[in-house]
Amino acid sequence: MKRTLTIPMGSQHIALLEPLHFRFTCENEKIVGVDADVGYVHRGIELACASKFKFRQVSFVVGRVCGLCSISHTTAYSQAAERLLGLDISKKAKYLRILVIELDRLHSHLLCLAHTAENTGFEALFMQIMRDREASMELLELVTGNRVQFDYSCVGGVTRDITTDIEKELTRKLAKLKTDLEELYEVFRTNWSLSLRYKGVGALNAQQIKELNAVGPLARAAGVAIDVRSDTEDLLPWKEVGYKMMVEQTGDVYARNIVRFREMFNSFEIIENVLRGMPQGDLVTETKANPQGEAVSRLEAPRGELFYYIKGNNTPVLERVKIKAPTFSNVAAFIEIFKGQEYASVPPILASLDPCLSCTAR
Amino acid sequence: MGLNKFRAKSPWILHYNAGSCNGCDIEILACLSPKYDVERFGMINTGNPKQSDILLITGPVTERCRERLVDLYSQMPEPKVVVACGSCASTGGVFRDMYGTECGVDNYIPVDVSVPGCACRPEQIMQGVVAALGILAQKNKDIEKPVRLAGKVTEQDGQTNRRELAGTLEATNAKN
Ligand code: SF4
Repeated sequence: MKRTLTIPMGSQHIALLEPLHFRFTCENEKIVGVDADVGYVHRGIELACASKFKFRQVSFVVGRVCGLCSISHTTAYSQAAERLLGLDISKKAKYLRILVIELDRLHSHLLCLAHTAENTGFEALFMQIMRDREASMELLELVTGNRVQFDYSCVGGVTRDITTDIEKELTRKLAKLKTDLEELYEVFRTNWSLSLRYKGVGALNAQQIKELNAVGPLARAAGVAIDVRSDTEDLLPWKEVGYKMMVEQTGDVYARNIVRFREMFNSFEIIENVLRGMPQGDLVTETKANPQGEAVSRLEAPRGELFYYIKGNNTPVLERVKIKAPTFSNVAAFIEIFKGQEYASVPPILASLDPCLSCTAR
Repeated sequence: MGLNKFRAKSPWILHYNAGSCNGCDIEILACLSPKYDVERFGMINTGNPKQSDILLITGPVTERCRERLVDLYSQMPEPKVVVACGSCASTGGVFRDMYGTECGVDNYIPVDVSVPGCACRPEQIMQGVVAALGILAQKNKDIEKPVRLAGKVTEQDGQTNRRELAGTLEATNAKN
C-alpha cells in the first residue's frame, strides 16, 4: 500500500546549521517531491553596500555575508574594485591572499566533512575531525588575527604581513595536520559502515550537473572539470603555486567527500609553495581615485564559483553591488538530488552538499 | 524536586540562527569540539525547544526569522535563559538598519546574556553560557518562591494595575 506523506524539515532543525526549509513529499520511504525555501537569511546587504558604506568599507561588510568563506567574499570584492580603479597590486599581496584562501578552504572542507559524519550518526568521527580542524583555526588566527571574520583583504592589498615565526609555526602545524588528515582519509575511503551510507547515495551524473548549472565540489565529484582557479590566472597566480584540478567520477556522497580530501591535500602543496616563493613587495597599493565604470570578478570559494559585479559612478559610494554565491547556483541541483532517495539519507546528503544559506540569501 | 535540583547541572541548549553570517554558528560548533568541550558542563545540543533550557541565538533577526524565533522562545518551558551570541545578535552589528534586519534580538524577546565579538570566540561563548547557568539557577529558585499578595490590589479603568502589583510583591519578598 502506498501512502503519501509530506514531511517538513526546518527552518530550525538539529541537522541544520542555518535556517533552511525543505518540504519533502514521500511515498512510504521514498522521496518523490521536494520544495526548498532558502530565503530566511535575507538581510539586504547588496543595497546597504550601494548606499550606506563607502567603497573601501564595503570589502569588510561583504565579509559578513558569510562567515565560512569571508576571505573569498572580501577578496572577490577587492579584486573587482581594483579592476575599476585600475590598481595593480603587488605580487606579495596576491601570494598572501592565496595563503589565507587555502587555509580557509581547509577549515571549511573539514567542517563540511565533520558535519557529514555527524549527520550519518558517526559522532566519534565528528569529534575527531573537529579536533583536527582546530589546528587550521589556530593558524588562521595566527596569520590574520581573528578566528572567523578575518577582514584580511582590503582594496589594494592585504592588511597584515607574516613574520618568520609565523611561517615556522605554519610549517610545523600543517605537517601535523597533514598526517592527521591522512588517517581520516583512510577512514572515509575504507570504513565499511560509512560506505553503506555514502556509496551510490545522492548521485547526479555529469549530464545533469551541466543542465542544472551546478558548481564547486558538487560538480567536480561528478566528473565535470570546472574550477575558477584554473582560468583566472590574471587575478591570482594559481598555476604558479601548484594548483591541480581534482575530479571524481561517481557523483555520490562518497565522491564529494573524496574530492574535498584531495583538494585539501592540494591546499597543503599550495601553501608550501606560497611560503617558499614569497616575493618582496608592498602590502597595500594606495590610490586616491574613486571607482568609475563596471567590473566583474570571479573566485573559487570552498563551495564553488563566487561572482561579483560592481558599478561605480565616480563617487565614494558604489552604484550597484551584485553577489552571486555558489550555493545559489546549486539549489536546483539539490532538489534533483533528493528525488528518489530514502528519507533516512536526507541528513548525510544535505551535509555533503555543504549548503551556505547566508551566501545565498545575503 | 529532583528535576529542579539538577536542571542547572545539565542544561540543554537550543541553537537558532536568526539570519547570522554563520561565523558565530561555527564558533558554537567549535565549542562542542574536544578542544573546548562545553559538554563537560553537562550541556547537550538539542533540536527540540520543548526539552531545552538555554536558547543560543546568533544573527540580527531577519524579517523572515522573527516569527520563528518568538515561536521557539514561547515553546520552551520555564525557566529559560536566552543568550545572544555575537555583536549582531546583541545590537545589529554591521547589519544595523539594513532593510531586512531588526537590530538585535532584544527587540523581540528578553535577553539575559549578551556575548560580544564579531565573531565571538569560543571562550567568550563559554563564559556567556556559564553566566547563563547562574541565571538559570536563580530563575529556578524564583519560580519556587511562595507568592503572597500583600496590600491592596489597585484597579484603574476597571483593570488590575500590574505595575503596582509587582511593586507590592517585591516588597513582601524582600521582607521575607
Ligand atoms: S557577530 Fe559577526 S561573525 Fe557573528 S554572526 Fe554577526 S556578523 Fe557574523
